[in-house]
This record gives sequence, structure tokens and C-alpha cells, in this order.
Amino acid sequence: MTELIPTVYPVDRPVYRWPAGLKLAGALVMIVGTALAPFAWRAWFVGVAAVLVLLVVAGRLPFRSLLLRLLALSPFVAGVALSAALNPRGSADWRVLALRSGLCLATVLVLAQTTPFSAMLAMLRRVGIPALLVTTLALMHRYLFVLGDESERMRRARASRTFSGDRRLVWWTAATVVGQLFVRAFERAERVYDAMCARGWR
Amino acid sequence: MRRAIDVRDLRYAYPDGTVALHDVTLQVEPGECVGLLGPNGSGKSTLIRHLNGILPERLTEVGGGVAVMGETITRDNIGQIRRQLGLMFQDADDQLFCATVREDVAFGPQQLGLTPGEVADRVQRALEEVGLVELGHRPPHHLSTGEKRRACLAGVLACEPSILVLDEPTSGLDPRGRRELIALLRQVRATKLIATHDLELVVELCPRSVVLDAGRVVADGPTHQILDDEALMLAHGLERPHILQHRHPH
Repeated sequence: MTELIPTVYPVDRPVYRWPAGLKLAGALVMIVGTALAPFAWRAWFVGVAAVLVLLVVAGRLPFRSLLLRLLALSPFVAGVALSAALNPRGSADWRVLALRSGLCLATVLVLAQTTPFSAMLAMLRRVGIPALLVTTLALMHRYLFVLGDESERMRRARASRTFSGDRRLVWWTAATVVGQLFVRAFERAERVYDAMCARGWR
Repeated sequence: MRRAIDVRDLRYAYPDGTVALHDVTLQVEPGECVGLLGPNGSGKSTLIRHLNGILPERLTEVGGGVAVMGETITRDNIGQIRRQLGLMFQDADDQLFCATVREDVAFGPQQLGLTPGEVADRVQRALEEVGLVELGHRPPHHLSTGEKRRACLAGVLACEPSILVLDEPTSGLDPRGRRELIALLRQVRATKLIATHDLELVVELCPRSVVLDAGRVVADGPTHQILDDEALMLAHGLERPHILQHRHPH
């Protein structure tokens, strides 16, 4: 699961060293442009795709993980495309919509792969995004990993004591694990809040 | 002289009715290092949570039976109390909630309302003290258990508290991590209260120990005297540490 969350390791490639603000602004331009540009501007779409490919190749980004994440998020793209395809008075071609949302998603993934989350948060804070929202994002990112590890430990513990292949039992235990994870996450949230209070948070 | 920690007849029951603390009385003088011993579920963590007002849930203006540096904890002075009493939690992942170690250590000083320059100074000093300057940029997720524990300590030290309360600081550490942490704690100049099962740590750091069992203080005195009392230790789910057996061969 944790492979699906981008983690930026300091790699000695220029794209990692570019300032976060520049990358964030660049990504924003690419996303807004891709969403709004008329489809007749073929050059724009080709250009965005070329920039992304260039970054992946030049920055030696982990192609497999990027593809995996793109696949994991593809239901969103598919959902948008499907709603356009099924709309009888559809003004937009579903293929164009799929291309637009796919490119936007890939842009975000490349940004996340090359920019540490903390740098992005610092940037968001600087441009005046409300502190509560930034803090919530930061906590979510921090504890995704902890919860990921916790669910992995629970999965392993369950697997090591699962002896029968009874489908119903498997589903039942899977549901229990999800429930347990929710309870544990809730309890951890309380402890984290206590720890924040202990260092002066109000 | 004002006592660093002064707990008098503290009673606490969890919302489900389970009584966790029965009239606990505990005094710690400034500069002391006291070990708080007791089996699992004896109320150590519950007692610790009272020391900076995380418990009881509804703190009144009158305050409970806990005073820190001569001030009874109330709803109004809770911020002041937390500046003076730093609490290190048992699970490092609960305490390290920021994206990087450096940001996490900066959290406390920022809450104190210091200028960015002062915050940076304190962070640097705290990281140097625990030997984590090199890892400041790392996300806490990428640290070992020992490094996480030291990062937690840095986060507390950066607030420069006069009292340090630690909940199981060495649990889950390998021998080297444990040694490093004990050496660090020895250097820290603050009043210390250490809740732990690590009896050898208590022998090394704490001249005085308090034993808590089933929410009651069952012993309070010089560490060697208490830990040497095998009957007492066994009766309360503890044991006479190996290190003492070697010092007094039979």
C-alpha cells in the first residue's frame, strides 16, 4: 500500500532541487491549461505530455511506481470519461475528457514524486492557504504511513494464522481488520492530539 | 521551597467507571530524578497524564490535586504548566506528527511564540544535544525506533522545560539505542520523573523510586532499598534487577 504514496528520496538530479514554488506554479499552469485549452490546440497537449515524459526520463523517476499510482487513480479518470460517454446530450467527447484528466493526474504524480510533501506544505502556507487546512493535510500525510504499516502488520498477523480457504471466513476477517484499523486510527488520533497539547497546541 | 511536582490524594476513574488512581500522593523536589515503577495497568500513564492536565477530561477552575512548581493546575494556567513540564510519550509515532524531524522539534518552540530566529536556534541546539542534526530533514517514518525516541526527546527539550516526565523511554529499543538514550537523559539538567519497567535504567539514573500498583503508591524511597526488597518487587509484578544481585553476592 505504501508504494502508492509518493515518497521523495533526495536524489542527485536537478529536477529534485528546483524550488518547490516553481514546481508548484509550473504544475498549476499545466493543469489549468490542460483543463481549459480547446482541443484544437493539439500542440498544448503534446507539449504537456512531452514535458512529463522528459521529466520522468531526465529525473530517472521510478516509472513502475508512477504507472502503478496512475492505475490506482484511473477509476477517477474512467468515471469522468464514463459520465461523458453516457450523457446523451454530451457536449464533450469522452476520449478528450479522459486525455485531459489523465494528463492532469500524471502532472500531479510527477510533482509529488519530485517535491517533498513538507516543501509543498510550506509553499501552501506561504501563499496563504488557511493554517488549519495545511495542518490537516500534513497530519494526514504523516499518519498515512503509520496506518499503512499498521494494516500491513495486521494483514501479516492474520495471514500467519489463516489455515482454511473458506471464502466467507476470509471476508469476515477482512471486515474485522478494517474495523479494527478504524478504531486504532481513532485512538491514535486522540493520543496525537494529547501529544500536541503537551507541547502547547491550543 | 516550591515542589516541582506535588500530587495530593489524586483519585481518577475512567468514564466507564474503572478506578485507575486511588488517592495517589507523590512529591518530587526540584532537581530530583525519580523512577516511577509498576506493572502494566498500574496507573503510571494515567498519573503522568494528570501532571500536565491532559487528564482529567474536564479540568475545572478549582483544579484537581496536582500542583507543578507550586501552582495547582487549573483551566487557566494549563499553558503555563505545559511550558514548564515536558512530557515524552511512550509511542514515538504519537509524538512525531510533523512531516520532518526538524519541523517536529520546532513545533513546541513555535507554540511558545518565539521569533523564527529563536525557534531555529532552539531546534539546532536540541538536535545537537540528541545527535540528530544530520537527520533533521528526514520524515519521522524513515527513522529507526531509537532515532525516533531521540527525536521525541529533542522535541521536548526544545521547549526547555524545567521538569521532564518520560513514559517508558527505553521500551522497544535495542541495547545500543537504550544506552544512547540513558546517556542522553543523564546529561539533561531538569527534574525528571521516569515511568518504566527498565529497572536497570532506574538503578543508573534515579536515586529515588516510587512503586505504583493497582492505582496506589505502595512504596516510595531510595531506589536501592526498594529494588533490593525482593518480596516487595515480586508482590507488585516486578523483580529484583540482575545488576543488584551482582553487587551484593550471596
